Amino acid sequence: MTMLKRRLMRSAALTVPGLALATALAGCATPPPKSDTADYQAYQQLNDPLEPTNRVFYTVNDKLDTYFMKPVAEGYVHITTQGIRNHVGDFASNIDEPARMLNFMAEGYPRDAGTSLVRFLVNSTVGIGGIFDPASAMGYPETDTDFGQTLATWGVPAGPYLYLPVFGPSSARDVWNLPVEWFATPMEAAPASGALSAFGYSETGLHLVNTRAELIGPIDQIKATALDPYATFRSLYRQSRASQLQQIQQRDNRTWPDWYSQPSKP
Amino acid sequence: MHFRRIILSAIASAPLLAAMVGAAQALTPDQAKDFITQSGDKLVAIVNGGGSEGQKAGQLRDLVNQIVAVDQVGDYVLGRYNNVATPAQKQQFQGLFHQLLSYNITYQIKAYQGVTFNVNSATPQGDDVLVDTTITTPGKAPADVGWVVEDDAGQPKIIDVIVAGTSLRITTRNDYAGVITDNGGQVSALLNAMQNQISKISAAQ
Repeated sequence: MTMLKRRLMRSAALTVPGLALATALAGCATPPPKSDTADYQAYQQLNDPLEPTNRVFYTVNDKLDTYFMKPVAEGYVHITTQGIRNHVGDFASNIDEPARMLNFMAEGYPRDAGTSLVRFLVNSTVGIGGIFDPASAMGYPETDTDFGQTLATWGVPAGPYLYLPVFGPSSARDVWNLPVEWFATPMEAAPASGALSAFGYSETGLHLVNTRAELIGPIDQIKATALDPYATFRSLYRQSRASQLQQIQQRDNRTWPDWYSQPSKP
Repeated sequence: MHFRRIILSAIASAPLLAAMVGAAQALTPDQAKDFITQSGDKLVAIVNGGGSEGQKAGQLRDLVNQIVAVDQVGDYVLGRYNNVATPAQKQQFQGLFHQLLSYNITYQIKAYQGVTFNVNSATPQGDDVLVDTTITTPGKAPADVGWVVEDDAGQPKIIDVIVAGTSLRITTRNDYAGVITDNGGQVSALLNAMQNQISKISAAQ
């Protein structure tokens, strides 16, 4: 395990008791009385019993983002072109392909797992270590999944909404994605070394900055136009996760060669 | 006897039902696609055209009122609080919603300079039609944007915008509900927040 990962794991491990403590201090949202049917149903539907705590973490992350992440991302945009940012995005995405393959297998979608495998093999070689994405042009477009989606396909409900310090929007189900993601990278398979740690630092840092840079416009717009940015991000997160799951379940990949008939997914 | 009466009445009402269904689904995918193409062309012409930012914002506001079913979207966004709000509050809400929607659309006119617009496909979704488009802005990755179009008294109108699987009207509904629930279920709190937002944007422009 690289040093960076160890640190992140430690901070994630500290997050859980921290979350519990903060919850105890800040308290939970008070549910409306059951007699008030409409309000009670709305409260249940919202499924955010830790809202007071979540809002505290949202404020902390917002400050962190405003004074650190966003200025760094703006500087990065200033010195890079859209082309470079696309290649950085492709590179980071390629490193995650083995994890996607494992998740697709666990979800019972072998064709999607095959797509991830082909993408990783093609882009790591022809695509020069993942900087280019020739696999998309060959008919293997990027398909996204993670352990949270795997749990969803197994029937685990999303559970209460969680807003994590540093990591941002999540849920009682999706939070399990964090520890799984640390372990499921190709770097884990390589023997530990100083160079690998340095690579891990650089890759994670660059990926974060690159992703934040791509989101400068949308995040600015949400913060400027939303009346309650916390509720808006919560809604966007949930809709986006539901849409990703729907795409995974509805996609009907064709194999090449056409080995056998291509039944639609149910 | 009772059962026979149900069957007979069902058979008798079948043509009426078909006519009603026909009326509700008057909008075809091709019509919706044409509507979005024309609306998109107008939008791009305004954004990339000459004139000051203020003039462009005015033109965009007019266009939004022509192509978006703002009242219906407002009703949807207010959701269950439609039953809680007084008639006066509802009227005030619709007025503020019209203003805010225009402001939000014109918020980043500068950022969209040089925008191009491609209409890809149209798929029926119940009584509505979802038109998929790709919007390309210089220096940014192309964005896939879906427009939900419905038939509003014989005229096609936009009722929702879908970006990366997220619906703008659902997001706005949740945003506004967040303000109301945070203020003990008071619709007046939402109206105040909307008014403050409008003042803030007006001052910034």
